[in-house]
Amino acid sequence: MLFNTIDFAIFMPIIFLLYWFVFKRNIKIQNIFLVLASYFFYACWDWRFLGLIFLSSIVDYFVGLYLAKTEQKSKRKALLLSSLIVNLGILGFFKYYNFFIESFQEVFSLFGRSLESSTLHILLPVGISFYTFQTLSYTIDIYRKRIEPTNNVVSFFAFVSFFPQLVAGPIERASNLLPQFERKREFDYSKSIDGLRLILLGLFKKMVIADNCALAVNEIFAYYPEYSGSTLFFGAFFFAFQIYGDFSGYSDIAIGSARLLGFDLMQNFNSPYLSRNLGEFWRRWHISLSTWFRDYVYIPLGGNKGSQAKWIRNIFIVFLVSGLWHGANWTFIIWGFIHALFFMPLILKKTNANFKDVADEGKIIPSLKTIFQIGSTFLIVLLAWVFFRAENVTHALLYFEGIFSASLFSIPTVSRGLVLFLFIYMIFEWLQRDKKHLLEIDFINSKPLRIAIYYCLVFIIFYFSGDTQPFIYFQF
Amino acid sequence: MKKLLSHISLFLIPICVVWMLAEVFYRTVPNNYTYKHEQISKNKDIEVLVLGDSHTFYGINPEQLSLKAYNLSNVSQTIYFDKLLFEKHVNNLPNLKYLILSVEYTTLTQEDNTQEDIWRKYFYKAQMDLEVPLIQWYNPKKYSLALTRKFNNTWKTFKDYREKGTLIGCDANGWGNTYLATVNAIEMKRLAHVVAKKHEDGSMDFSVNSNRVQQIIDLCKSKNIEILLVNMPSVPEYVSLLKSEKWKKIDSICNHLKTINTNVTRIDLLNDKQFTLKDFQDADHLNAEGAKKCSLTLNQYLD
Repeated sequence: MLFNTIDFAIFMPIIFLLYWFVFKRNIKIQNIFLVLASYFFYACWDWRFLGLIFLSSIVDYFVGLYLAKTEQKSKRKALLLSSLIVNLGILGFFKYYNFFIESFQEVFSLFGRSLESSTLHILLPVGISFYTFQTLSYTIDIYRKRIEPTNNVVSFFAFVSFFPQLVAGPIERASNLLPQFERKREFDYSKSIDGLRLILLGLFKKMVIADNCALAVNEIFAYYPEYSGSTLFFGAFFFAFQIYGDFSGYSDIAIGSARLLGFDLMQNFNSPYLSRNLGEFWRRWHISLSTWFRDYVYIPLGGNKGSQAKWIRNIFIVFLVSGLWHGANWTFIIWGFIHALFFMPLILKKTNANFKDVADEGKIIPSLKTIFQIGSTFLIVLLAWVFFRAENVTHALLYFEGIFSASLFSIPTVSRGLVLFLFIYMIFEWLQRDKKHLLEIDFINSKPLRIAIYYCLVFIIFYFSGDTQPFIYFQF
Repeated sequence: MKKLLSHISLFLIPICVVWMLAEVFYRTVPNNYTYKHEQISKNKDIEVLVLGDSHTFYGINPEQLSLKAYNLSNVSQTIYFDKLLFEKHVNNLPNLKYLILSVEYTTLTQEDNTQEDIWRKYFYKAQMDLEVPLIQWYNPKKYSLALTRKFNNTWKTFKDYREKGTLIGCDANGWGNTYLATVNAIEMKRLAHVVAKKHEDGSMDFSVNSNRVQQIIDLCKSKNIEILLVNMPSVPEYVSLLKSEKWKKIDSICNHLKTINTNVTRIDLLNDKQFTLKDFQDADHLNAEGAKKCSLTLNQYLD
């Protein structure tokens, strides 16, 4: 079930009303209801893969319980390992089996040998990378004694399968989300209003920004030899906004839906295209995944402790794994590599942690320096997206060859209206950069004006939405 | 909670009003679907039935045929719906002697539920009284036509209706009579590129739709109906931009269908030289003049 469909527009109010009116009195029944609703939500795609969510949940629930019961190091390691094997084994099989087989076959063929192994026709279960990472973080945190395991199986199942963020995040930590299932939720008017605003904003980002950009992106990337360098550049530009609108839109709807049910999910995007360097970008883009990799890969590897060479190695490992997490294709790995590469100057100059403040705070117009910093960061991100979008490495390289041709300075054949629209959108993001989201408009005292803004957005969504496209991050 | 629900309800009232108006619009204003359904249900004495997509809708004028004919084709009508329509109406057409069925570049590889016509199936269901297996009972769009189309398309359709006074784009015989003009060679070339891109689905899987054509042929056989399997004319530029390998496969399937079925006549007008640029509205659709030529050509195959 997609968030931007009539089905969800019917599903969500039903869940909301039953949740608050019928099941409100008993938290356990409320949680059982959420598990059933979440499993139904997932089954709308493919009920056959519900077994995988169930398996991940049951394995980590019991591993968590047993971890708490034993202090013996070897036993604890074995328990953690069993969770890792089951979860990463499922993920590896469904997502990476064919990729590794094909890659090995190619390597063998380079040496004039053939590898007798065949690929399988494997369907990728929607959201597998997201819920696998979420449930893994629970086990790892218990292993590290950072959290206590839950004895409540229903709460745990609800935590793993919570429908707003089941298929595309935010990837929640047990320390944040699980306790929310274990305490009584109270209806909060202002929280619900904010949830509705986020849903509206998410629909706008997905249906207007992402889906309109997708039309141009699909055309330009599919027929790239026919287009000038400048048009190809704008193809990448539109893709940058497509993926941003698509994924941050989904996250907004997820967070908004969770708020309606009384839950607080973590912020997943924070105006990433206003970042002044790559370090800031990764603190603002897909925050739940970046922090996951920071906590469960980067820090265990040593983080920035030790020599600079080790630090650089750790950064490369994290970005390459992050690339691989996105998909079983070399394009994603190269995308991760490019980010790691451009991260290097920040490490060498130790400026990766800069810019934790609000850019040009209190100013309406950004300074030239800020514009340059934002522009150069965006340019790197934009060019790296070409690898992310391309079907294979050859496609990406040819696309780059097209961009960096003499025609780069010709007039692009793209919709100027769309470019202008995106520019205006970014102005609003700039003006709201110190807020949690674009529609945090409580500072507008006039209620009619706020309502007019909501109607305006509804109208834009209805009138200017592009052809419905699948959410990009579902494939991950 | 009550405050929230009352605020949401108030907020949604104007949106619901617009939705209801759109629903009333779709349910009350006649369009090609309602009109064709009405005509085909009324005319039981039809001898020639035309099925297919926009190529036959605009390209075959029943008035030019010597037998009583009706054009039941429609814009973006896939073989899936051709089959459903034929199965629905064949028993009510006792005089039917010929079925003209077009096979175009996309006909045999087109998937069901493609983006372009994803909304049309609800119109076939609601306005042509077809049982469409693709639509599940729990799909909300089954119950509201306004939900099937994007609001801007509904608004455009409404504006169109305000301008022309009708949404019906065909005559009493079902022929699409709104394609009257032509374009110059340069524009035709540009259109050929645009349409060829749109029509190139990359698929070479002909199995499902070939089977559907065969099922239509079998049904015709059982009713002693002759089939004219037609490849409609197109601008050479358009033809050359599409995969020759696929054209060859279409050609060989059509020939195969002709060989194994005694009631099939193959008429290949794709590259027929009698059609010149001035016979086309765009790269792959005949205009009224071209439709006359095409219909008279097909008429030679009718007894």
